[in-house]
Amino acid sequence: MSVNFDTPPGDKGSGLPVSRFSKISDWKSALCEFWKEFRTVKYGVIGLILLLGFVLVIVFQPFIIPFPDAGEHWKDITYWENNPRNAAPIWVNWFRSEDGAVHEFLREPEWAVKETSRFTQINGSFTYNYQYDLPPSEFTFKALGKGNITLQVELERPDGEVINVLKKSIRSNKESEVHIPLGNELNREAYNFAKRYDNKGNISSVDSSLVKPFNIIFARAQEGILTNPEPLKGEYQIRINAVALGSSAYLNDPYLIAHGRVFGLLGTDRSKRDLWSGVVTGTRWAMLIGLLTALVSVAVGVIFGVTASYYGGWVDSFMMRVFEVFVSIPLLPVLIVMSALYKPSIWNLIIMMCIFFWTGPVRTVRSMGLQIKEETYIEAAHALDASDSRIIFKHMIPQLIPYAFASMALRVPTAIVYEASISLLGLGDASIVTWGQILHDAMNNGAVLQGLWWWVIPPGLTIALMGMTFAFIGFSMDRILNPKLKTR
Amino acid sequence: MDNRVLDVKNLKLYYFTSKGTVHGVDDVTFHVNEGETLGVVGESGCGKTSLGTALLNMPTPPGKIIDGQIIVDGKDILQLSESSVRKHIRWEKISMVFQGAMNCLTPVYSIEKIMLETLRQHRDGRDNQAYERIKKYVNLVGLSDDVLKRYPHELSGGMKQRIVIAMALFLEPKVVICDEPTTALDVVVQAQIINLLKELKTKLGLSFIFITHDLATEAEVSDRIMVMYAGQVAEIGTNEQIYGSQGSAHPYTQNLLAATPRLHKKIEKLDFIPGTPPDLLDPPSGCRFHLRCPVVMDRCKKEVPPLKEIESGHMAACWRCY
Amino acid sequence: MSDVILELKNLQKWFPVRRNMTQVLKGERNWVKAVDGISLKINRGEIFGLIGESGCGKTTTGKLIMKLLEPTAGQMIFKGKDVTYLDKEALSEHKRNVQMIFQDPYASMNPRFKAREVLTEPLLIHDIGGSRTARGEMAAKALEEVKLTPPEEFLDRYAHMLSGGQRQRIATARTLILSPSFIVADEPVSMIDLSTRAEILQMMKDVQKDLGLTYLYITHDLSTARYFTDRIAVMYLGKIVEMGSVDEVVDNTKHPYTKALISAVCEPVSGKVNKMKEIPIKGEIPSAADIPPGCRFHPRCIYAESECWEKEEPELEEVEAGHLVACRRYKEIT
Repeated sequence: MSVNFDTPPGDKGSGLPVSRFSKISDWKSALCEFWKEFRTVKYGVIGLILLLGFVLVIVFQPFIIPFPDAGEHWKDITYWENNPRNAAPIWVNWFRSEDGAVHEFLREPEWAVKETSRFTQINGSFTYNYQYDLPPSEFTFKALGKGNITLQVELERPDGEVINVLKKSIRSNKESEVHIPLGNELNREAYNFAKRYDNKGNISSVDSSLVKPFNIIFARAQEGILTNPEPLKGEYQIRINAVALGSSAYLNDPYLIAHGRVFGLLGTDRSKRDLWSGVVTGTRWAMLIGLLTALVSVAVGVIFGVTASYYGGWVDSFMMRVFEVFVSIPLLPVLIVMSALYKPSIWNLIIMMCIFFWTGPVRTVRSMGLQIKEETYIEAAHALDASDSRIIFKHMIPQLIPYAFASMALRVPTAIVYEASISLLGLGDASIVTWGQILHDAMNNGAVLQGLWWWVIPPGLTIALMGMTFAFIGFSMDRILNPKLKTR
Repeated sequence: MDNRVLDVKNLKLYYFTSKGTVHGVDDVTFHVNEGETLGVVGESGCGKTSLGTALLNMPTPPGKIIDGQIIVDGKDILQLSESSVRKHIRWEKISMVFQGAMNCLTPVYSIEKIMLETLRQHRDGRDNQAYERIKKYVNLVGLSDDVLKRYPHELSGGMKQRIVIAMALFLEPKVVICDEPTTALDVVVQAQIINLLKELKTKLGLSFIFITHDLATEAEVSDRIMVMYAGQVAEIGTNEQIYGSQGSAHPYTQNLLAATPRLHKKIEKLDFIPGTPPDLLDPPSGCRFHLRCPVVMDRCKKEVPPLKEIESGHMAACWRCY
Repeated sequence: MSDVILELKNLQKWFPVRRNMTQVLKGERNWVKAVDGISLKINRGEIFGLIGESGCGKTTTGKLIMKLLEPTAGQMIFKGKDVTYLDKEALSEHKRNVQMIFQDPYASMNPRFKAREVLTEPLLIHDIGGSRTARGEMAAKALEEVKLTPPEEFLDRYAHMLSGGQRQRIATARTLILSPSFIVADEPVSMIDLSTRAEILQMMKDVQKDLGLTYLYITHDLSTARYFTDRIAVMYLGKIVEMGSVDEVVDNTKHPYTKALISAVCEPVSGKVNKMKEIPIKGEIPSAADIPPGCRFHPRCIYAESECWEKEEPELEEVEAGHLVACRRYKEIT
């Protein structure tokens, strides 16, 4: 009997002993082995870490955002009214020499109330310590009031100049929230103030309607105040003088909001919505839409394509005709019709996307299947009397897993962006917020032109990041599942 | 005295792969005389196909010829520029019938067009001359003119192989390298092609290098035989010296012959050589055959045996042979 | 007198040729007659060789026996039962009894399967074994049978981690695991190195003796057939032209085609270099869609006379004990 020298060149032996396993520990060991291999593929681990990051964001969402109900209230303007408009992220201040004013709530002012039988006189004063280079974009006075009230607001600068901000009457029969933005009619006043200090050239070059009032009010009174204002730092007094008619009228719980130039982790958009809350809330939807659509559509598509190629003949012809019907139906018009009939909801959208996206991989999978069908090991499986489903699922589909994963990974961002486009047309689900929606609001409002990069880049980046995550995971799984790429 | 048409000295072709350097052809020396067929025989991975491509200075990337001389017509072609080799050497002095070439004929062109295109790469001639030459060689390989108008898929395997041979000949080179020209063919066609090669050899005074893994075919075709193992030459000898009753010298050749089944001899038990050819990424020390050799000595494991002449015209690289 | 395990009676397999419109309208039908009526008997425990060039129908015959193809006509009797047309259950049983070793050891195994999965798949399909452990043990035993030891070394390897010889052993082990009685081996060693061929053939012979198997050995290589087989049948263009013990057929050839084949084979002996090979045959193999009338070999036969193409095709007749030939003029040719 000859000694067996048969060793393949370069191989030092697998070193893995075969022992008797029961089913559960079979799985455990298979998983351990899989993990051991997965660990070695660097970008797979990176992908997994990113995925973990996304999952953590989704799980801890209510805890990490300042506006936990951002999702439901995304289209509700009143929910966001206390935020600044178009504010950059707070950390921007660390990177530039000019500090933007921070979003502040000035509470507990000096508040003197003098009541008589016929009217109530209120004199209040807020102290605002301004130490920034860019002043707040707006101030809002808020209180709870009732009755017939006339207000007058004026602002005193550190250099003693006083500016009349506004005069306003409000009237309400029962207690209601008082919400008065101070900058609405301030342009003229600010312009006139500036005219006293600036030179003729600057004055004529700037139109009164185009000035930003608070830029002037918080600037040094000197030449160039219109074109190149220098900040006047110090304590500013904002005085509220109000007269309320009637004894039951009042103005309580007053506070002033100084709408900062910077706000939050990712700033705000034109509708004053906190973008950090929006992006974080959008994560779960992105994950859901992307994953579900990609998974279902690729799974269906692959099985469909392989089955068609396996059976051939009239089965194949029939299946391909079905496929062609689906491919020739344009998704968008169907969705428009659908939204006319049913309430647009994210689930309907996902279902519709699955119904149409499955066609993607079919052609390629079918041609790959036709090739695989001719392989000798398929013939060998026939010779062993393997059932059709066994051949399809155990022999043919595993060969397509690399392609399936790649397809899935690439489909995730496609699905997300598709949903965004749907939102653009107003067919999206209004009750939730998605990255695509944020992006399209940004586009509609000309965010790029206005330089509001924090509105555009974060959602775009997160879409790309999620796509990258799945791409990494997909490709690394292929490295493991495709034994030919093993170097062991 | 021998008139050498091809002289190869210390040829080294290494493949520089991401896994390391594969010693495809490792220090090979041999020569081919005028009008003879040199057979190169060996198992898969022994370097014979690499040798074939090296002789045309066309190593398959990532292979590179890093040492040695290939002397044709007094010139070392490894020293010539690529354009010079392409113009003057390839197909003019040495040509090649590649393995499986018959399956590589462009299916959308007629035979005539394929052959004319190849011819025009090397010679500008007026159409007439080129066409005449092609006709001549097609007839020479035993086919009629009407083959020219046909397409490759209309021809049988044997006919396609003849066309490929004609294409290797029509510039009248001195040496024609044939890499497994008969392996994919049926037995009868194989014999016919072998006859054709013999006929061409005498008619045109050509020299052939006949590369194959089949010892039986080699015996009927080659005047001299070179046995390769693991990128190196194990033995070179005449047909009589290798296949004759005396038996060959190198243990590898002997065992290979003993493992070849015979048609006209009833063999009770065929020998085989245990193990597999070595991995050329990390060749064994000393004689590369020592791991499988039945008569291995201590010396074989440490020292590489040089290729030495053991009798006139018979060289072997084995410590047991000298 | 050993009994007959497989008998083929006038087995036929014709493939329809694609027609163009005119042919469809005319109602013409063309067939590629891959297997055109072959009859043979294979005894239990013997190694029967099926020899022929490409296109002669030997691989198709193998597939018919494996029931990967359905015959167009004729009969196939296996272990005494008529298995020409089988229902699903009987087919499953037949496929347990008859196994195949393919030519390309690499392509015949799913590259994503480890050896263990390759070996246990037949068990899973036929629901044998019961538990993973039991199946693993059967796989290990099969590996031992083909001398791939220790089995643990190989069970967890993929095909591309093994040498050609090892792969073919695993392919053989796969055929053995269902304890078949009949194995069809289609060119099992043609893609394996010369030095390993004998080893694989030896292993196959040992296995045969151990388990009492019968082989159908399909090949074009007469030399290997001489070494390995007991009896052979030579096929040409879908029919058997000569059949008998391998020694008889090779040393005492009767059919002109077999003669031509034998004369074309090369032998590793000296002294033949300067001689042209004499091959007593003319022309090229005709297409199987266009079979010559009368004796189908007549256009290429150097001994053909008018009776060979005017009269009908000669039948396979026993001219000496156990030696059959399908030729009218076999006596007149040397």
